[in-house]
Amino acid sequence: MGKRYIEIFCREAEEHLASLQSGLLVLEKHPTRMSLLHELLRNAHTLKGSARMVGLSDISAITHTMEEQLKGMEQGNRPVDAPAIDLLLKGTDAVALITSALSKGEPPPLDVEAFVADYERGEVGRSLASVEPQEVIPDQLSETVRANVKSLDALVNLIGEMIINKKRLEAKLTRLRGIEREVEGTAADLLVPFRRDLEEDILYLDYLIAELHQKAMELRMFPLKSICDGFERMVRDLAQAQGKEVRLETVGANIEMDRVLLEGLKPMLIHLLTNAVCHGIEPPDQRESKGKSRQGSVRITARHEGSSVVVEVRDDGKGMDPVRIKAAAVARGLIDQRDAEAMRDEEALYLTLRPGFSTAEVVTDVAGRGVGMDVVKKNVERIKGNLTMTSQVGSHTEISLQLPLSLSVLDALIVASGGETFAIPINYVQEILRVGEDEITPLGGSEVIKVRGTTTPVYSLSDVLELPRRQLLPGARLTALVLKLCDQRIAFTVDAHLGNSEVVVKGLGKQFRNVTFLFGATILGDGNPALILNVPDLYSAVAEQTRPGLQKSWEVKVQQRVLVVDDSITTRTMEQSILTANGYLVETAVCGEDALEKAAVRDFDLVISDVEMPGINGFQLTRQLRATDRHRETPVIIVSSLSRDEDKRQAMEAGAQAYIVKGSFDQGMLLETVQMLIG
Amino acid sequence: MPLDQEESYDIQTVLAKMRDEYWHGLAEQETGAEEIMDCLVFMLGGERHAFETRHACEVIRVPRLVKVPAVQDLIKGVFNLRGEITAAMDVRPLLGLPQPELGPAGRIIVVKSEHFATGILAEAALGVQGLPLEQFEPSHPGSSLDRRRLVRGHFNTDDGATILLDLEALLTSPEIMVGAD
Repeated sequence: MGKRYIEIFCREAEEHLASLQSGLLVLEKHPTRMSLLHELLRNAHTLKGSARMVGLSDISAITHTMEEQLKGMEQGNRPVDAPAIDLLLKGTDAVALITSALSKGEPPPLDVEAFVADYERGEVGRSLASVEPQEVIPDQLSETVRANVKSLDALVNLIGEMIINKKRLEAKLTRLRGIEREVEGTAADLLVPFRRDLEEDILYLDYLIAELHQKAMELRMFPLKSICDGFERMVRDLAQAQGKEVRLETVGANIEMDRVLLEGLKPMLIHLLTNAVCHGIEPPDQRESKGKSRQGSVRITARHEGSSVVVEVRDDGKGMDPVRIKAAAVARGLIDQRDAEAMRDEEALYLTLRPGFSTAEVVTDVAGRGVGMDVVKKNVERIKGNLTMTSQVGSHTEISLQLPLSLSVLDALIVASGGETFAIPINYVQEILRVGEDEITPLGGSEVIKVRGTTTPVYSLSDVLELPRRQLLPGARLTALVLKLCDQRIAFTVDAHLGNSEVVVKGLGKQFRNVTFLFGATILGDGNPALILNVPDLYSAVAEQTRPGLQKSWEVKVQQRVLVVDDSITTRTMEQSILTANGYLVETAVCGEDALEKAAVRDFDLVISDVEMPGINGFQLTRQLRATDRHRETPVIIVSSLSRDEDKRQAMEAGAQAYIVKGSFDQGMLLETVQMLIG
Repeated sequence: MPLDQEESYDIQTVLAKMRDEYWHGLAEQETGAEEIMDCLVFMLGGERHAFETRHACEVIRVPRLVKVPAVQDLIKGVFNLRGEITAAMDVRPLLGLPQPELGPAGRIIVVKSEHFATGILAEAALGVQGLPLEQFEPSHPGSSLDRRRLVRGHFNTDDGATILLDLEALLTSPEIMVGAD
């Protein structure tokens, strides 16, 4: 956690501690003043929330016990007398001690666990008095060293440059072989052994670079289990909240993946597990009546498959019913009745991935973060993965994510199209065919070919990319690549396929903010760039049946405006700086009323709100925003330290789209949720 | 002591001379610094254009440009600049200039903005020249809005006008950015 946030927190804590202390002394004299008691409760609560936000578990533990005591007083279960006030004051003393140590960068001066235990017994004198400086144990020399992630990334990039350079050497070798054929006499006699020596050297270099690359990649690899820590607890809690019995199993937790990919995978797994528990597994009685064990099972399986990792989430619940899915899709206007009838059952499952399919479920989604399956799909695509679904009604659902091992180097098929060279990630390529003119048949406004008996739509890659089309001689055959994305096969014709190659992925630079059709670029052996195609974009371009170039727009998108509502300055500042750093315009409001005032005069694309605030709470704020024309549709994220399902349900009922618990709050989570909702 | 007297007299004149030379030199330096602006001069739309040298990174021959699908016409393609994928832009339409074909004299002027390096296609590069500020005339209000935004004015040099571009304005123009945020 950044030092800056700690500083902000310390300043905020000072204010709350001061008002707690003075308020407590007044309360001692006027024990029946409920409004004051409530004010103190809010102070303690905010302090707890902010402490959690910056990861200060000690302070949040102490303030939690204080909050519990104040709640007890409010409900009349605990006395409001001198010893009680004394205890509370000791609590504020302890928090003050820790904050002052924090601002000096020293370790906490008291044993918090003992303090909290003593506090709960009502006798804190002992642990607060025994403040002893702890002996600092010097770091032992160990087998590992700490490395900066940036240095690691730089290392991997440099090795990428070496791979490209080696490719250029190989290209030179090919040229040398050509020269060899032209040269005669003694020169040729000298050239041949020289070329052979060079070949050997380059081969050796190739081995070295390959090994170096692998070692460097390993440095960035982490096991899957590093992100699975909270899953068991989460599944257990979710199941309990729903009155279900669920067992989570993880197979292959030791499989390692690139750090960047793991970060992307975690929220997807959380979502899939939540879906499995909430929508997949049936209540115990229902399961029993169907002859299943009362306890449902959810299994995460990870395994290597070629150069990718496959992660599956399987539950033995009620399965997905294609008939009901089709009906829901028709009801929501995603497809019409005719489409529904023509659709295969396996295809119907993928309807749940369409945006708009799951949003309708959001409000009733008991435990979800309010984000639909379409987002999982988008995230899988972002990390160049592939998502497949299988299900049997009454038996199981299995979602399988095929992910690359790394994003910095990928296996690609190199093709020529429209006068350019492109790289296509190999995990999408099913097969390469040669098709004649007569094999292409028109069907419903587009063209299809038969691939192993299956009708497959076919498009010209250069047309989709709006590049010039090559004129073919009569009788010439076209090369067609059959690509697969989410179980859907589409063929794209290209001018030629130039073989497989391991390519180093490079960004296009900051001038390119995001480019349709492209995932990045690489540099080929001849030194020229080749663009790496983003297959999901090709699919959406042909699905929309419009010329893709028409959708391009280079007008600058207006910056998205976010309203952050929180009575804690720590939370406000933290959320604001996360969002501002990522290009959002942020305004802040200190309470619900303030937020309503600001929202009345300006359009916001998103509202992020705390629950407990002076005045109206976050749920009321959400409801009131929903009642205005201006913000009827504006997404609302509730960020709160309340993690009970009841609160989440309330948030959803009020019309919020997502619910983030401060305890589990981290920068990535907030940003991800924001991006999911408003992009 | 006549010798001493003579010597001291001499020292006075020498000092006076030195002082004169010093002031003269200083005056020369000042006028010199005011008069000249070092600019990279190149041809765009058949006219001489320039911007201050501090923006320029390098001038290279036009390499093979790889076309990028679904982007604005201004982006003519990307090329490999020592391992970095870099865009090549034709900014002439932005300036309301004609677009004659680039011949063998065509060059890419690589410039660096705060966030990225990019290439500007030019019909020819004429090298670095010191342009006399005395001959500078700011854009007149009659020119089109786009032009006024990107052009600071022109120098009336002996061999015709040289237009001074506002490179900072050009590099922060939304028109040159690809894709939305």
